[in-house]
Amino acid sequence: MKTRGEAPCAACLAIFLSLASLRAAGPDTILLRGATVHPVSGPDIADAAVLMRDGKIAEVGPRIAVPKGARIIELKGLHVYPGMIDSDTEIGLTEIEAVREMSDISDIGLFKPQLRAATAVNPASEHIPVTRANGITSVITSPGGGIVAGQSVLMHLSGWTMEDMAVRAPAAMRLEFPNIRTPNRFAAAAETPGRTSAYAEAKKRYEQQMRDLNDFMESARRYRQAKAAAGTGFETDLKFEAMIPVLDGELPMLIRAEREKTIKEAIAFADKQKVHMILERGAEAWKVAADLKAHNIPVILPPTLRLPDEEDNPYDKPFSIPGELFKAGVKFAFASFGPGDEDNPRNLPYEAAAAVGFGLPPEEALRAVTLYAAQIWGVGDELGSIEKGKWADLIVTDGDPLETRTQIKQMFIKGAAVDLDNKHHRLYEKYLAR
Amino acid sequence: MKRFVLFLLPLLEATLLPAAQTTVIRNATVITVTKGTFQGSILIRDGKIVEAGEKVLVPDGARVIDAGGQFVMPGIIDCHSHIAADSINEGAVAVSSMVGIEDVINPDDIDIYRALAGGVTTANILHGSANPIGGKCQVMKMRWGKDAQGLIFEGAMPGIKFALGENVKRSGSPGNGFGASPGLRYPASRMGVEDVIREALTEARAYQKEWRDYQAKVDRHEQAIPPRRDLKLEPLVEVLEGKRYVHAHCYRADEILMLLRVADDFGFKIRTLQHGLEAYKVAREIAAEGTGVSTFSDWWAYKAEAFDAIPYNAAILVRKGVLVSLNSDSAELMRHLNTEAAKAMKYGGLSETEALSLVTINPAKQLGIENRVGSIEPGKDADLTIFDKHPLSNYAKVEKVFIDGDLYFDREKDLEERPGKEARKKALIDKEKAQENKERKKPEPAEDKKTEEPGGAQ
Amino acid sequence: MPLYPTAMKHVTAMLLAAASLTYAQAPGPIALRGARVVTVSGPVLEKGIVLLRNGLIEAVGENVDIPKDAWVVDAQGATVYPGLIDALSTVGLPETPAQPTAARTETPATPRFGAQDLPVPLEQGPQFRPFTTTWVRAADLLNPSDRRIEETRSVGFSSVVAFPSAGIFAGEGAFLNLSGEKQGRMVVASPAGQYVTLASHGFGTYPGSLMGVIAYIRQVSFDADHYKLELQAYASHPVGQKRPNYDRAVEGLLESPRLLLPADDAKQLDRMIRFAAELKRPTVLYGGHQAYKIADLVAKSGVPLLVNLKWPEKPKDADPDREESFRTLELRDRAPSTPAALEKAGARFAFYSGGTSAKDVRKALKRAIDAGLTEAAAVRALTLSAAEIYGVADRVGSIEPGKIANLLVVKGSLFDEKAKIQYVFVDGVKYEPVPETPPSGDREGRSAPGGVE
Repeated sequence: MKTRGEAPCAACLAIFLSLASLRAAGPDTILLRGATVHPVSGPDIADAAVLMRDGKIAEVGPRIAVPKGARIIELKGLHVYPGMIDSDTEIGLTEIEAVREMSDISDIGLFKPQLRAATAVNPASEHIPVTRANGITSVITSPGGGIVAGQSVLMHLSGWTMEDMAVRAPAAMRLEFPNIRTPNRFAAAAETPGRTSAYAEAKKRYEQQMRDLNDFMESARRYRQAKAAAGTGFETDLKFEAMIPVLDGELPMLIRAEREKTIKEAIAFADKQKVHMILERGAEAWKVAADLKAHNIPVILPPTLRLPDEEDNPYDKPFSIPGELFKAGVKFAFASFGPGDEDNPRNLPYEAAAAVGFGLPPEEALRAVTLYAAQIWGVGDELGSIEKGKWADLIVTDGDPLETRTQIKQMFIKGAAVDLDNKHHRLYEKYLAR
Repeated sequence: MKRFVLFLLPLLEATLLPAAQTTVIRNATVITVTKGTFQGSILIRDGKIVEAGEKVLVPDGARVIDAGGQFVMPGIIDCHSHIAADSINEGAVAVSSMVGIEDVINPDDIDIYRALAGGVTTANILHGSANPIGGKCQVMKMRWGKDAQGLIFEGAMPGIKFALGENVKRSGSPGNGFGASPGLRYPASRMGVEDVIREALTEARAYQKEWRDYQAKVDRHEQAIPPRRDLKLEPLVEVLEGKRYVHAHCYRADEILMLLRVADDFGFKIRTLQHGLEAYKVAREIAAEGTGVSTFSDWWAYKAEAFDAIPYNAAILVRKGVLVSLNSDSAELMRHLNTEAAKAMKYGGLSETEALSLVTINPAKQLGIENRVGSIEPGKDADLTIFDKHPLSNYAKVEKVFIDGDLYFDREKDLEERPGKEARKKALIDKEKAQENKERKKPEPAEDKKTEEPGGAQ
Repeated sequence: MPLYPTAMKHVTAMLLAAASLTYAQAPGPIALRGARVVTVSGPVLEKGIVLLRNGLIEAVGENVDIPKDAWVVDAQGATVYPGLIDALSTVGLPETPAQPTAARTETPATPRFGAQDLPVPLEQGPQFRPFTTTWVRAADLLNPSDRRIEETRSVGFSSVVAFPSAGIFAGEGAFLNLSGEKQGRMVVASPAGQYVTLASHGFGTYPGSLMGVIAYIRQVSFDADHYKLELQAYASHPVGQKRPNYDRAVEGLLESPRLLLPADDAKQLDRMIRFAAELKRPTVLYGGHQAYKIADLVAKSGVPLLVNLKWPEKPKDADPDREESFRTLELRDRAPSTPAALEKAGARFAFYSGGTSAKDVRKALKRAIDAGLTEAAAVRALTLSAAEIYGVADRVGSIEPGKIANLLVVKGSLFDEKAKIQYVFVDGVKYEPVPETPPSGDREGRSAPGGVE
């Protein structure tokens, strides 16, 4: 509220200031006080406070005047961090992996740009409260299968409906880049009759898929052109409609490419098609770091806690890759999605921590599950750090959230307190009492 | 090329340093697990811990490892693993007790080294979970570089795998589940699983009687030939006689109780319930049996029977008096069981010592090897892991691992050897390429003329 | 007048007979003269004479009296070796082996994947013998007109030890001379050994894993021991006793003089050596590519090893972007050094072609020699060692009086780059190498025994 007129007198200023702080201290105004605040975007602040209002961070600092009616939460001895962001999950799309009926991860077909993960997310999924209990406030949930798998969504882990939850819907168009599949370790081992396909066969398949992909992009372009020309006989095609923001460079293309060769081809593809690329699950991104840096392509990492990709790789290769990428100046975010049954999004912070002993500075590890993730998804102004104007997605902890022993005490998403109880905790209480 | 052979020998050579050495690990934070934590040193001789204390005299000639600022704990023990074996499942039959991991130990499996680099010194290598009664297990030490026999944990009680639940039912049907109708192999329901186990144990009883009758005849000096040896039933007789531990893969509370009842009926105890993700629901009954549980820290929801799995499982069981260990069932998870243990502190409030016990002394007790390993006490095997930070921290990494007093993993050395390894590999690749080029350029050598040659006698 | 046509008939008959004899076998003795003779069992004769008669070696030496009626073969500038022996082969046997069908006579039907109407038995009783045809004998299956006989002989081999190769217990092999005329004439010794593979047959059948196969073999072996006891007990006192069931599979095993077990890499060699000791049956191992790592262990065990001359190759269908492991590269590099390592350690070993085409055998041998195998050891492994391993060293495998006249005559020396095979003698009959047949399409694809499992 600006004062009119000339330079205000001191008294007026004082009155103004106290009036200002009395302004609209509604039910959503909360002051967190007394904790060590870790903004991530800047240095830590001891004994500090965070004011949340209308879902946003209104103030951060060592001293904040308390607005009248604001709820005060004393957090002496505790810590406040930004809520963490998991950049690769299937949360809400599947409940029990082994039960097909409960899975909505992929649909039939190779080119499905019109399919939206946001539609199929079950806001009542048990995975949501279980995951957020360990400090994760938003996730990317992606569809799978085929070549163009569909649209990923960036969503808060709190809300009755997708309208409540969505931060960016769509957040990206997901593409599983064609590659020549060669037998994996298990197929090659003595035990199982391998479903290995001969290299020559696989190569043919791959070449066909590349042709199809390029054709698809070409068709999408022509559609966009035709639409712009708005000629007679133009028919809406939902598939190609979905591609328009991608072609316009507004919606990034999330491209999964694991091996060096595939990554290089994906980069060339993105260049040629003039789309804005984010590399996903780039296990061999370290081999192509210079290229990625030159093209400013950020990387969503596969889990740090995985086995080396090749038998002869050093045992700690997956642990040291984030450090290598950091040194090469490549931007990346950690994610929990991994092959097999082992991915547990609530363990996202430990994927980040695992890289610290092997060359990644600890602050960078934290940034790669908060600020950098937000920036990669184009919401760097809204999420990922404790800064004025951003959404109040915060966690209160008793220590470093990247350490297992740390407890998440409280969580706020868009300034509202989130219940950290979940099925697991309830079962714990129930059976401890038996 | 011969030189390369010599360089390669260390990969096979038993240990990095000779066995009967005297070693002192000095100035570390020593986490004994059973006898507290202190700043001090450990004296090792002939593969055993001789002394562990705040002040330890260094004998002349001892190798001294300065572990200042570092943390030493007992080598980690993984109670459920499938590494180092060329087979995991013999799934076509419902009872496959005749097969055994001991026949297919694979000492060349790189996952042994990787486990070592994660601080694991002993692992219980199990048959898979494809059958209600599976094959025989093998306890192994991660002595990377030794041959198959060299990996075996001498004197460990033999074990056998049982399995209940979805994996077992699924193994019968083609196409692997997903609502498929009951398939080729019985059993296809939990009822059938119980039946299979009871029938097999009943047969084993009859087989046991056959041999006892034979022995009685022999004792009476009567003419008799021994019964035909049935390799499937022999291990089950050992189970009945308490000479072979049963490690049973199970999930649901009801099937756990089923198995405990069956064991009771046949007069033996299940040694461990493996995974037992719903064990917390029947902790009381399990504790009363004296059966142990070896479980995951926090996996859940990947199968229907895992939907009620909670990360508090270990903590509840511990509070109810059950002997609990955390296992990996994964070559990857095996590499960080120390941080998995920390999860039991986060979920359920176990203390540091209780948490570390889950991956050291507890699995040792479950495997019956606690007199040898699982804690830092004089007289035990010198199986020790040195971390650069507290083992329950996610920032910690393994620096050195000793087994039987020999240094089997040394991170510094591993780093030093990398360029050499890469160079050797490149040399082989180049050599082969050069050979290929030579072959391509060289015209085919003149074939032996198979036509008649003049001049030979006729 | 009436005698003339009859006489003519007789004369014609005799002439024809003589002609056929000339073709099949020279009447009277044959003398090879002027060659370097590598006897293998004794010293090398720089200029020796080998005298053959009636299919046997009559004499060998530097001064041997050559009978007047001998057909003298001038072998100046040539070297004479014992005929080479391919220690593990399928040559002489039909190309598609008979499938082991009604092997399990009394057992419930074999589980067939997808057949819902055949309930799989919960228990497999003692008579369940999957993939087992111990009683099948190579000697009974011989096909003398197998084209490969001639091809193999043309590269210097006078004998092969041929085995049926399908299943886990595939059957009994036979030591054969490559004369390719009469079935009965080809067999030198039968049974020569029981060919065993560790092939598992997929998750849907038993045994479906390596440990399953090993357990199965162990059980069969124990059953054989028990069967013997049962038969002996019954035979000594049948009155009032229940008679043992006839067990064809076990009978077949008991008749076998030795087991052939596969062992290609070091851990498998280690495993099989221990397995052989456990089963207490004479055993021969085949494969051996990684034996260079544990040559001393192999030698110490006394278990003979048949080394597969088909050295590991880079797979033709490999993904060029996929890096192979060091282990794989090292094996390809070092496998040819195995024979040299075995020689040095004093182990007993022989060679087999293992699917290498006959003419590539020479190349494979050369690699072994380049890697350190001495020529003398190479020759021994190809001749006398193989004979010893199969228990026929008293009659074949070296150039000694009384032994079967199997010889190889090479212009120059066998391991020369330009060596040319002049003749091969099998049972005293001289053969000349045939011109090379055009390559047939199936050469690569056919699986041979002793391949990597």
